[in-house]
Amino acid sequence: MSSADPASGAAASLLAAEAPVRNDRRGLWGLLLVAVPVALVVGLILWPVALSVLDTLSVTTPEGRRFSLAHYRFFLSDGFSLRNLWLTIWVTAVSTGLLLGLSLPIALYLRFSHSRLAGYVQTIALFPLFVPSILLAYALIRTLGPNGTLDTLLNAVGLPKIPSPYLTPWGPIIGLVWDNLPLTLLIVLAGLGNVSQAAVEAARDVGANRLSVLRHIILPRITGTLLVAACFVVLGLFSAFTLPWLLGPTVPEMMGPFMRRTIIDVDQPTQARTQAVVTFLFCAVFAWFYVRSTARNRRENER
Amino acid sequence: MSLAARRLSPLRQLDLRGLVIATLLSVAILMPLIVVAVWSLTEIWRWPAVIPQKFGLRFWQEMLGRTDVWEAMRTSLALSAIVTALSTVICLPAAWAFARLDFPGRNAFFLSFLTVYAFPKFGLYITIATIFMGLGLIGSFWGVVLIQLVGTLMFMVWIPVSAFQNVDRRLEEAARDAGAGPLRVFWSITLPQVLPAVSAAVLLTFVNTFYETEVAWLIGAPEVRTVPLLMIRFINSELVVQYGAVLSVILWLPSFLLLLVVRRFLGAQALGRALGA
Repeated sequence: MSSADPASGAAASLLAAEAPVRNDRRGLWGLLLVAVPVALVVGLILWPVALSVLDTLSVTTPEGRRFSLAHYRFFLSDGFSLRNLWLTIWVTAVSTGLLLGLSLPIALYLRFSHSRLAGYVQTIALFPLFVPSILLAYALIRTLGPNGTLDTLLNAVGLPKIPSPYLTPWGPIIGLVWDNLPLTLLIVLAGLGNVSQAAVEAARDVGANRLSVLRHIILPRITGTLLVAACFVVLGLFSAFTLPWLLGPTVPEMMGPFMRRTIIDVDQPTQARTQAVVTFLFCAVFAWFYVRSTARNRRENER
Repeated sequence: MSLAARRLSPLRQLDLRGLVIATLLSVAILMPLIVVAVWSLTEIWRWPAVIPQKFGLRFWQEMLGRTDVWEAMRTSLALSAIVTALSTVICLPAAWAFARLDFPGRNAFFLSFLTVYAFPKFGLYITIATIFMGLGLIGSFWGVVLIQLVGTLMFMVWIPVSAFQNVDRRLEEAARDAGAGPLRVFWSITLPQVLPAVSAAVLLTFVNTFYETEVAWLIGAPEVRTVPLLMIRFINSELVVQYGAVLSVILWLPSFLLLLVVRRFLGAQALGRALGA
């Protein structure tokens, strides 16, 4: 554009002046449109969590509030709380191990099989997605509970009854594994999508057996995926409520039922909040890893 | 070993493996469900008979005649409908803004929805419950609505955002060049393209809210009585097995509908992505 042309120069400066204004207005619109959901996140997630952390880290004395670790000291010196925490860690660890251990072979089968059975296996493995956990709890009690269907069947063929997992830690473990199998499987399956059939076949052609293909070709490529799956599962299991409460033991009990009893039945909200913050701290590493990888995936998709 | 045999043998092995996996999975997944289905159609089934002594629909009649069942069903449907509607109204415009507008803090706000996943759920509900106790929102229908709404944000923002980003912008520009106004463009060009993903998100939100048990139990009980809470009562204190079995089958209906829709319109992978896999 030549500066000798005053008309077009004026038009250009007008546009230049107009563009930022228009952007500002669109920016304002954007902020307005996202305001309500963001306010919900701030008001019902960040604010309650921050408040709980602050309140449990302080005590009220006649002189006012001051910083104190008293609530956490109580939690850590209370044998009952510690046993509940330990049970939760144990159930979470066992269930996560089982979930990965079950998903991996199923996913490998689904990824590399051309058999017609694969479709059936996928359908049946994903079916728990369509079974609400409350229904599952009831079904497991009827099936594995005392005098349940499994006992009936064993009795019919002259075998002794099973020691029922109902109301033992194995109750919630079975329930949680059943419930979480489809999503874990889907995550692992998505990860296996990155392992090319060609790489596996090449390794086989140079004489690698099944196990070394798994160890040297497949596992290194899906370690990240397995970690993400584990984090996702741990976050879901650690404060699970419904299944542990309905299927698990009362003493000791998992953190979910424990927190509810503390706040509703024992009426000790501050203790319940301390317990909640303990679960947050324990899950922080897993949450950080999960959120980071999800955010990263997101950014890659955007590109 | 001949080439053909080498090609064949892994296949045969794989099939054996598939057979084992399929059998074990079928037993583990289907047996509890079949047990419930059989119980719901049973009138008399005394230990240790393998087959019920008497089949019949008596307990279906009794359950469908109970006012607390209908009451719970109404509460659950109302709760899910309200939460889904509110979520649609506040999340879809936000999703559109995230996909199309540039504004300060856009990325940070967008990623802030991930905090829904960053805290173990029940611990989060406990921290909210302590605040609600002070506000007198315990046992309130709207208190339950508010928290369940937060649980839907992730679905209702993230899924539609990708849908809006995938819309073919050239079509929109062409329509605008042809003289269509912004609303007309949105209605006739943008909306049809995002509709499948958006309806999937809405449906998932509705079904998930219908089955939501933990918030309803922690914040809503005893005043708010949904179908899952009625089920909890049956599990804890109902001696007649069949009541629970019949309610289980009734409870399963929304999931069954979701299953039909998913099989028809969505792949398993898409569903997994939607659920955060």
